[in-house]
Amino acid sequence: MDSLNIPATGRTPAVAFDFASGHLRMSGESYPDDVATFFGPVFTALRAYLADADPTPIHFDMELLYFNSSSAKVLMNILQMLEAAAKAGRPVSVVWSYEDNDESMRELGEDFSEDLQHVAFSLRNVPVGAIG
Amino acid sequence: MSFNLFAAEELAIEKARKLGEALAVVAPDCVDDFNELVQAFERSTREQQRLVRVSDRLQAQLGAANQELERRRQEAETALSHLRDAQEAIIQAEKLASLGALVAGVAHEINTPVGIAVSCASHLADATRDLRRLSDDGSISRGDFARYLATAGDTATLILTNCQRAAQLITGFKQVAVDRASAERRRFNLAKTLQETLASLQPKLRPSGHTVAVLCPGSVELDSFPGVLSQILANLVMNALTHAFPDGRAGHLVVAVDQVDTDIIHLSFSDDGVGMTEDNRLRVFEPFFTTRRGRGGTGLGLHIVHNLVVGALKGSISVQSAPGQGTRFDLSFPRQTPERD
Repeated sequence: MDSLNIPATGRTPAVAFDFASGHLRMSGESYPDDVATFFGPVFTALRAYLADADPTPIHFDMELLYFNSSSAKVLMNILQMLEAAAKAGRPVSVVWSYEDNDESMRELGEDFSEDLQHVAFSLRNVPVGAIG
Repeated sequence: MSFNLFAAEELAIEKARKLGEALAVVAPDCVDDFNELVQAFERSTREQQRLVRVSDRLQAQLGAANQELERRRQEAETALSHLRDAQEAIIQAEKLASLGALVAGVAHEINTPVGIAVSCASHLADATRDLRRLSDDGSISRGDFARYLATAGDTATLILTNCQRAAQLITGFKQVAVDRASAERRRFNLAKTLQETLASLQPKLRPSGHTVAVLCPGSVELDSFPGVLSQILANLVMNALTHAFPDGRAGHLVVAVDQVDTDIIHLSFSDDGVGMTEDNRLRVFEPFFTTRRGRGGTGLGLHIVHNLVVGALKGSISVQSAPGQGTRFDLSFPRQTPERD
């Protein structure tokens, strides 16, 4: 399956889904004008990828520094899809990155991991400016 | 008692769980589906809680960004204010420097006639002392007396002309500093004021046969300084008569006023004379710039015009000219002179 690569713009994040290696990554800032237009194709690709009975472990790097409420719901939906895949037996790990001193982003990571029982979730502290 | 934002949702979940237990007794087939529904509602409630936190975080970020924006706006305001102060200081320094140049120019200009007058007076004093000694000795001759009379006549003439020259320079210098307070401000008709000024200049215009055309609608009324405008026109005419027609031919001067419907009056003054070089054109408003040094030019006429247009009328002036192409001054100034700077 082809990988999905969308470069970042001012309002939308970089999306790098390398489906062959199972490495998925979202980084930057996310407050798109139209959440459906931007994330629609992302969900379509992800759903198709997870529907395959591919046993490759999945690793998701969440490196968004700033996201609006719609994007937060998008993240929750993605995490829920990954949780379902993990529950079905596929190894899934999620790393939630947050910058130094961004306590509220760290707390959001803890909140967002609340419903994950089968996904290996971890928080990663990075220096300011190291990601994005 | 602690406050719980999601108390109602938790109460509903609690009731649903109890309903599930009751359902397990009466309709065991429905229990799994019902429990899924309850779990979906539970998850939805948790997502709602997260979204509230995300929203609060965004609001806090917005507030912080606004505070930062306000802080930077104030910094920019402060910087702008400092910049304005610095600009004001530079303008003041520039004014002082130009005043210094003016004073130096005045000193230089007046020095020549005064110096000549002093030498002549000294020479006259020497000659008078010599004659007195001869007279006291009783040895004065007819020739001595005739020589003294010639000397006295020559030196007196030189002293008079040079003192007159100095007085003339001082009069010109006084006009440079426009006394705005003493200039009378009133409503007046532009065409009428222009005609009256030209009438007063007829004695200068008539002998050389120059003509002046005034193209100005009779309806233009100004709220400004007629005396200032009159002096501007007089200086422009005198400047043209002095420089534009050295060959003695009769020239044509035109005063034209247009765009009379706007709040800004455009007045042009043109001649069909010899024009001037670009170098001269660029310096024409500088104080003491003259092409007639030592032949009656003070270099103040157009400088005074410039000061009056800019300072008193709050307008602007520019000049177009080229050798053989005549000269044209373009003045713009408000129909109603602003009260303050």
